[in-house]
Amino acid sequence: MSRIIACYKWVADEADLKINPDMSVDLSKAKGKISDYDKNAIEAAVQMAKITGDEAVTLTYGSKKAKLSLKDALSRGPAEGFWVNSEKAEQADGAASSKALAAAINKIGDYQLIICAEGASDTFARQVGPSVAARLGIPCVSSAIKLEFCENEVKVSRKLENGIEIVAAQLPAVVCILPEINRPPIPGLKAVLDAGKKPTREYKIEELGLVESDLSARTETIEFKAYVMNRKNIVLDGETAADQVKALVGSLKKEGII
Amino acid sequence: MGEENQFDAIVVGAGPAGLACSYLLAKAGKAVLVIERGDAPGAKNVTGGRIYSYALNLLDKDLVDDVAWERKVSHEEIMIINGKRSITMDYHDPSLTEGDESTQSYTILRAVFDQWMADKAEEMGAMVVCGIRVDDMIQREGKVVGVIAGEDEMYAEIVIAADGVNSLMAQKAGLIPDIKKETVGVGVKEVIDLPAKTIEERFKLSQNEGSARMILGCTQGIHGGGFLYTNRESISLGCVFMPQEIVQHGIQIHDIFQELKMHPAIYRLIQDGETVEYSAHLVSEAGFQGMPARLYKEGLLLVGDSAGLVINTGYSIRGMDLALLSGIAAARAILGETDLSQIGPAYLAELEKICLLPTMRLSVGYNQLLEIPRIYSNYPQLAIGVMQRLYQVDGQIPQNFKKQVMEAINESGLTVWQMLKDGLKGVRSI
Repeated sequence: MSRIIACYKWVADEADLKINPDMSVDLSKAKGKISDYDKNAIEAAVQMAKITGDEAVTLTYGSKKAKLSLKDALSRGPAEGFWVNSEKAEQADGAASSKALAAAINKIGDYQLIICAEGASDTFARQVGPSVAARLGIPCVSSAIKLEFCENEVKVSRKLENGIEIVAAQLPAVVCILPEINRPPIPGLKAVLDAGKKPTREYKIEELGLVESDLSARTETIEFKAYVMNRKNIVLDGETAADQVKALVGSLKKEGII
Repeated sequence: MGEENQFDAIVVGAGPAGLACSYLLAKAGKAVLVIERGDAPGAKNVTGGRIYSYALNLLDKDLVDDVAWERKVSHEEIMIINGKRSITMDYHDPSLTEGDESTQSYTILRAVFDQWMADKAEEMGAMVVCGIRVDDMIQREGKVVGVIAGEDEMYAEIVIAADGVNSLMAQKAGLIPDIKKETVGVGVKEVIDLPAKTIEERFKLSQNEGSARMILGCTQGIHGGGFLYTNRESISLGCVFMPQEIVQHGIQIHDIFQELKMHPAIYRLIQDGETVEYSAHLVSEAGFQGMPARLYKEGLLLVGDSAGLVINTGYSIRGMDLALLSGIAAARAILGETDLSQIGPAYLAELEKICLLPTMRLSVGYNQLLEIPRIYSNYPQLAIGVMQRLYQVDGQIPQNFKKQVMEAINESGLTVWQMLKDGLKGVRSI
């Protein structure tokens, strides 16, 4: 039995963000959560493991705040939770995160599929999946909406702009999934209670053969500001419903929307 | 049923009542499961509000130093509104912020406070699971033996219903009927963010000091009132009304609340603030008469709002301290009684001992008093009318005081006879 590893990111809950009058963003009161799309990744791993008889596990790279995530992740069905704990994660970019994750995946070993979300719900940079694959020297398939195992391959349906492409990749492989792939259920009472009893494993970066400087970000966030979208405040009138619809269609055409 | 599905106690609802009980049970080594429907403890709550320190002291003295409070209440205020005019009475006792911690009260934000209590209960070993709704209870031979959440069944020697006003658990157990419209009020509340310094200036508070205010006359004559509590960096402002009368008067709740916010004496307190939270909830309004006839069934205890434990005296509202007391009493009963069938009666005895039931009985009179409809319109108008005449200097020959008061009485639509009757009722009730 080998492992299917779902990677996830512990992000600030956007519902708790506060925008200051100067448009700066206050994250201080934001609680953490598993990035929304990563919940799909975990569910995909759990579903695949059921079919293949492998073991679904989760992996995250995060600061000590991410400790809270382990129970949540495990309540979604995986058998074991891995966590690379480093304060460096607070300033990580795709390059740094993928380095930490790839090192941890090598340490965990015996994997045949790595499932990531296409992007995280905070940055949506879409770097981590492909970077992890590159560092591990294994294939990567993105935009996945369906996964099937056949022998030593994974068959992936990729959602493209105008159609669906089906590709096969040699295992082990990294697959980046889109949220359409499944609907992760809300964990039930028993699942939550069971999660507390499942094994978790914390890695310090030294255990992974890394030093702090390895995990320095290659990009730097200079500023983080809120964006205001002004409403156009157009009131359409017209006596009959038909007139109103006509006015609406005209207005939308004028804006180049339709 | 496997061992992993069996607990000593299951507590439904992670509010002050449920968590106080869980804390003490877990501290005594019991296996306790707390199931909360909100995504976090306090998430579903609307309380104003304030907590009295004596109740926390009873729970655990060590907790008091550590409590997640916003401000210590040293200003007790009553405000009467009529039209654009208002009277505010402010009783200030600076000693309430220092020294004796058994008679203080703190303003709190429930999202913070409940989480803090849940953390404390978890430190003692209780398991707190959030985001799970309990759908039903499991009963065998007339005894409650567990709960059902989704597809999962969990069993326990005792289930504690701490699921708030209109308790589903109490209904399923047949201890309360479906809600009666005359026994509950509807509360609406906004939390308005303001810098600490602004709050301290506007309410004339020193650092850490807070004020608690009851507002009368702000409900367009409807049975109800307003409340205002200062938190560290926000103000909790709200109103409670009887929904039945709202319907009869054809008024919208948010219109009354908006009018309160825009009242000149209130607006200057909340000006430039940002509403960060808006919520509404039911509040038990019937005091002792609103309590279920039975607070237990074999295998089940009702605590806090589930047991209707709210006291509204008109000058203050108490609920959270009573919730803590009932949680403490429940835990004491469970820990002190080995015969499971006797836990219910033991709980009642503990409620008496902890002075909760006697206090609730005293609330009967206040409820009678607050049933006088004139309290919400005529009397506020009278008070304001007297003040207006007292302070109005217009160069004319002033009338004598008695005449002025009589004028104000007439204007408010009251009669001396009616006032005597109400006064007598008031004296008798309380």
